[in-house]
Amino acid sequence: MSAEVHHLSHAELLDQENKRYHAFINLALFLSVFTGVEIVVIFLPFPPVVLFTTLITVSLVKFVCVILWFMHLIYDAPLLLILFVGGMLLAAGTMVALLNLLARSDVDPAVLHDSGVVIHSATRVDGTSIS
Amino acid sequence: MSSVLVNDKAELPVLRSGLGLPRPDRFVGVRDWMTTVDHKKIGVMYGAAACFFFLVGGVEALTIRTQLARPMQHIITAQLYNQLFTMHGTTMIFLGVMPLSAAFFNFVVPLQIGARDVAFPRLNAFSLWTFFAGASLLNVSWFLQVLNIIGILNPVDGRTDIVPGGGWFGYASLTERPYTGIGTDVWVLSLQILGVASLAAAFNFIATIINLRAPGMTMMRLPVFCWMTLVTSFLIIFAFPPITIALGELLFDRTFQTNFFRVEGGGQPIFWQHLFWVFGHPEVYILVLPAMGIVSEVLPTFSRKPLFGYPIIVFSGAVIGLLGFAVWSHHMFATGLGKVATAAFSLLTMAIAVPTGVKIFNWVGTLWGGRIRYTVPMIFSLGFVWMFMLGGFSGIMHSAAPADAEQHDSYFIIAHFHYVLLGGILLGLLSGIYYWVPKIFGKMMNQKLGYWVAGMVIVGFNVTFGPMHYLGLIGMTRRTYTYLGDKGWNDWNMVCTIGAYILGLGVFLCFMDLLVTVFSKNRACGPDPWNARTLEWSLPSPVPAYNFTRLPIVSTRDAWWMDKHAGIPIEYDQADVSHGVHMPSQSWMPMGAGFGFFMFGIGIVLMSAGIPYCGYLAITGLATVTFFIYLWALEGPGGYHLAVPAEATPPSPTPARSHTPVSAGHH
Amino acid sequence: MSDAAVIAHADDSHAPAEAHAEHPTATGIDTKKLLMWLFLASDCMFFGTLISTHLVYRKVYPYGSNEKGIIDIIKTFDIQLTSFSTFILLMSSFLMALAVSAMHKGQIKSFRRACIGVMIFGLIFLTGQVYEFTHFFDGHALYTFSVKTPQGETISSTYEGPADQVRAKADLARRLYAEHSDWMALPATATAEEKALTPAAQLKLHPDWMVTAMKQVKVEKPSLSMQNSVFGSTFFLMTGTHGCHVAIGVLWLASMYLYSFTGRMQKNMHGAAIDIEIAGLYWHFVDIVWIVIFTAVYLVEYIPGYNPTQ
Repeated sequence: MSAEVHHLSHAELLDQENKRYHAFINLALFLSVFTGVEIVVIFLPFPPVVLFTTLITVSLVKFVCVILWFMHLIYDAPLLLILFVGGMLLAAGTMVALLNLLARSDVDPAVLHDSGVVIHSATRVDGTSIS
Repeated sequence: MSSVLVNDKAELPVLRSGLGLPRPDRFVGVRDWMTTVDHKKIGVMYGAAACFFFLVGGVEALTIRTQLARPMQHIITAQLYNQLFTMHGTTMIFLGVMPLSAAFFNFVVPLQIGARDVAFPRLNAFSLWTFFAGASLLNVSWFLQVLNIIGILNPVDGRTDIVPGGGWFGYASLTERPYTGIGTDVWVLSLQILGVASLAAAFNFIATIINLRAPGMTMMRLPVFCWMTLVTSFLIIFAFPPITIALGELLFDRTFQTNFFRVEGGGQPIFWQHLFWVFGHPEVYILVLPAMGIVSEVLPTFSRKPLFGYPIIVFSGAVIGLLGFAVWSHHMFATGLGKVATAAFSLLTMAIAVPTGVKIFNWVGTLWGGRIRYTVPMIFSLGFVWMFMLGGFSGIMHSAAPADAEQHDSYFIIAHFHYVLLGGILLGLLSGIYYWVPKIFGKMMNQKLGYWVAGMVIVGFNVTFGPMHYLGLIGMTRRTYTYLGDKGWNDWNMVCTIGAYILGLGVFLCFMDLLVTVFSKNRACGPDPWNARTLEWSLPSPVPAYNFTRLPIVSTRDAWWMDKHAGIPIEYDQADVSHGVHMPSQSWMPMGAGFGFFMFGIGIVLMSAGIPYCGYLAITGLATVTFFIYLWALEGPGGYHLAVPAEATPPSPTPARSHTPVSAGHH
Repeated sequence: MSDAAVIAHADDSHAPAEAHAEHPTATGIDTKKLLMWLFLASDCMFFGTLISTHLVYRKVYPYGSNEKGIIDIIKTFDIQLTSFSTFILLMSSFLMALAVSAMHKGQIKSFRRACIGVMIFGLIFLTGQVYEFTHFFDGHALYTFSVKTPQGETISSTYEGPADQVRAKADLARRLYAEHSDWMALPATATAEEKALTPAAQLKLHPDWMVTAMKQVKVEKPSLSMQNSVFGSTFFLMTGTHGCHVAIGVLWLASMYLYSFTGRMQKNMHGAAIDIEIAGLYWHFVDIVWIVIFTAVYLVEYIPGYNPTQ
């Protein structure tokens, strides 16, 4: 991108940067809103599947937006996008593989203590709660 | 950048950097080598270090083999045996093969792509000096061990394994604090430092190959050696981060009692195995792909034919690199992964044999119909094709998990990986040495001795590792320091040891010849003694500091061959060179940063040993690294101009060979 | 050339643009920028491994530990603080984009303002992290008191009291007494003076006379440290590494800020713009890693069913 910038006239350069400035402001607002959505949604009474999907989707959208706009990849040569996405996919693939390779059933049961779970509230005999 | 123009850099006046400090450009001699950013000198230093450490690793191996020559020997203690196989593996992989590959990357790649240097010369020097720091840290442990034996150094944990003894793969929980001594800290820290060096070099080479190619050098006209360098570098940048994290977690477990792999805290040691092999498997492809690249250069040259199936060989190399990340758990078939995982990794491992086999077929296709010259490099490369294939056969046997259940941890595995490492990688690298030494030093090695070396190495390693297939299948397990005499292993072990000595003698003679060649006055050869195909052979030998007088404009693959024999002359860039060629300035800063890493490593090791104030040494080391990086950034790249000869074209090829009619190549 | 032509410019004051930028690159991409993207691709694997470690151990130990000591992660986390930190980091990314934009336009003063903004926000983030970590490390103690009623039932109550457990116990007894004074039971060992006291005074002296048996079963929520659980180890290493990356970024930006006053940037605005852009790429990367960590480490813990203790 910078090689191309070098060939633009100063006025064209300013114009391009100013357009991008507006994109950045919009993106910043968008990111704040989406982060807020994420935080609020986990406290809402949706089934876990919906919550997981929402969280993953929203964070993916934020991730992609920062990469494409703040990090300029949408304005730059495709090679850079391919390089970065390649690394990311490799990391994600390794993570998925590792998560599927290790399971709770592999852990020696002797080290697990399913008892001793904390009770967080108490009710008296008549049904009213104490703490 | 300065506009100073000189004929020879020794004539430079004192140039000052952006910091006001004098630049070391004028130096000749030792200070020149210490501050150089020239890829050719850096390559030579990597190569010299690699050859030295090959011999160190070889001595470690011969000691192992001597101990195992007969049953129930106690020539060395069991602890020393563990330390020897650990150091042999670590030295050979990280201090032998990888730097020798790096030597070739450094020297050859910029020349083959038609560049004047790598993308970031000071980063290149930083890689070299950081490599020296890591190598020194690993081997200084031998001296520390001696200090321990004579009673000066007594670690607080009371353990005496100061040289690493946990295997080159460092499995937890053995490498946790209660079970091994500061040797493991040495191992962890040297690998971390060596990792930094490898990463820096890999980033540099990718940037170089992608961005600094000569005009007209499209990716599909790149020599295969450059392609393999590119794939290897990508493997490095993606494989080293997991091991960095794993080593960091192990170090934290040992130093801060975290719970990553500590069973008493809930850690799962199997996770170490996973993380290590996520690195470890791509690592073996990092080791082998450069050698494959060398063979892909040597075979066409001495068959006097272009490489058969160039796009397929390139594509296969890339596929091997990619699939290399998907097969790591085949090192863990015996750990109880479960049916699905075992089947998946088994299938993927079998799949990775396919592109490798494709390459073998393409090499054979290159030879087929060629007019073969059995020069020394050719013998080694032919040996590669055959011996690596044998190593591949035992490898494919491992990929069947039920069979691997028997083979795992036996000598069968040792046989497999030594066949691919020696039969493959070592033969490929020796081929590269004999092939490129004439270009690097302008002198030929002793070719007659070279044939003897090839014979000794090939015969020797087959005699050493061939019987190990049998030994493994009749039950001899790995990493056992001695064995009972009634198992039927005795005679074959003696055979293996004899083979090892033959192999060792062969390698030793080769390196001695190399040393003699470098300092000899009367082995001079011309710029293109092999009648080769790629651009580096169009330059004088040894190559001048600026590489190309004028940059070539490439229009085909094997451009130099086409220029000589197919009537497609290389055009050269016609830019005005009367102001000379810009050379990057040399610098002390990379060396300073490398030294800082050594300080950091030795500080942590001695701190673990309980020596007071060494934590401060470690912190000083990190501060030193930061300090020199800041100076590096602030001094700026600088530079000066070196005058180049007036003639725009390189010296003509040796007349006797230029009339040989050849079939026209293709793009 | 027979004699060396030495043009005596022995310093860099007339240095034209960076050597790398001079030579046209084979792809048209600036080489330094290519290097930074390669580094970021590699760093993806780096953080990917760290996050994998954390997630694998969360899967294997849903209770957040090796389960000899349960880590109640929701009680440990402070989602408001972390959300605030996340928001701050996102805004710092925005300011960074502005800084890069300013340099491209050649406006050094705007660059300096935005740069200071990024650094300040980065430092706020780091302060938040440090505060959060020390808060986790201190932990808080929880006391569960088992009260056996005269009817023979056992009621357990978790009381988030101060460190002084005696006071906590007395406080609980007083509350129970306020509703069930009939649960007061004098043991045989009570002295005459004690028996003469009012029930309230008795309770103050001997809260354990509240019922026939008042047993304190202390269930401590241990502090979260690197040593005391697997969760702590993975969590702190991952977020600590991220924090180190942020700190290095702040140092880098501080260096660029100070460098902008030396006058060297103005001599080579194009090169300087690339250098700032590279610093920006690093900073944005650190931000997107945090996006992943925030979601995969903090937010998922609040999903019912993810953590069986909820």
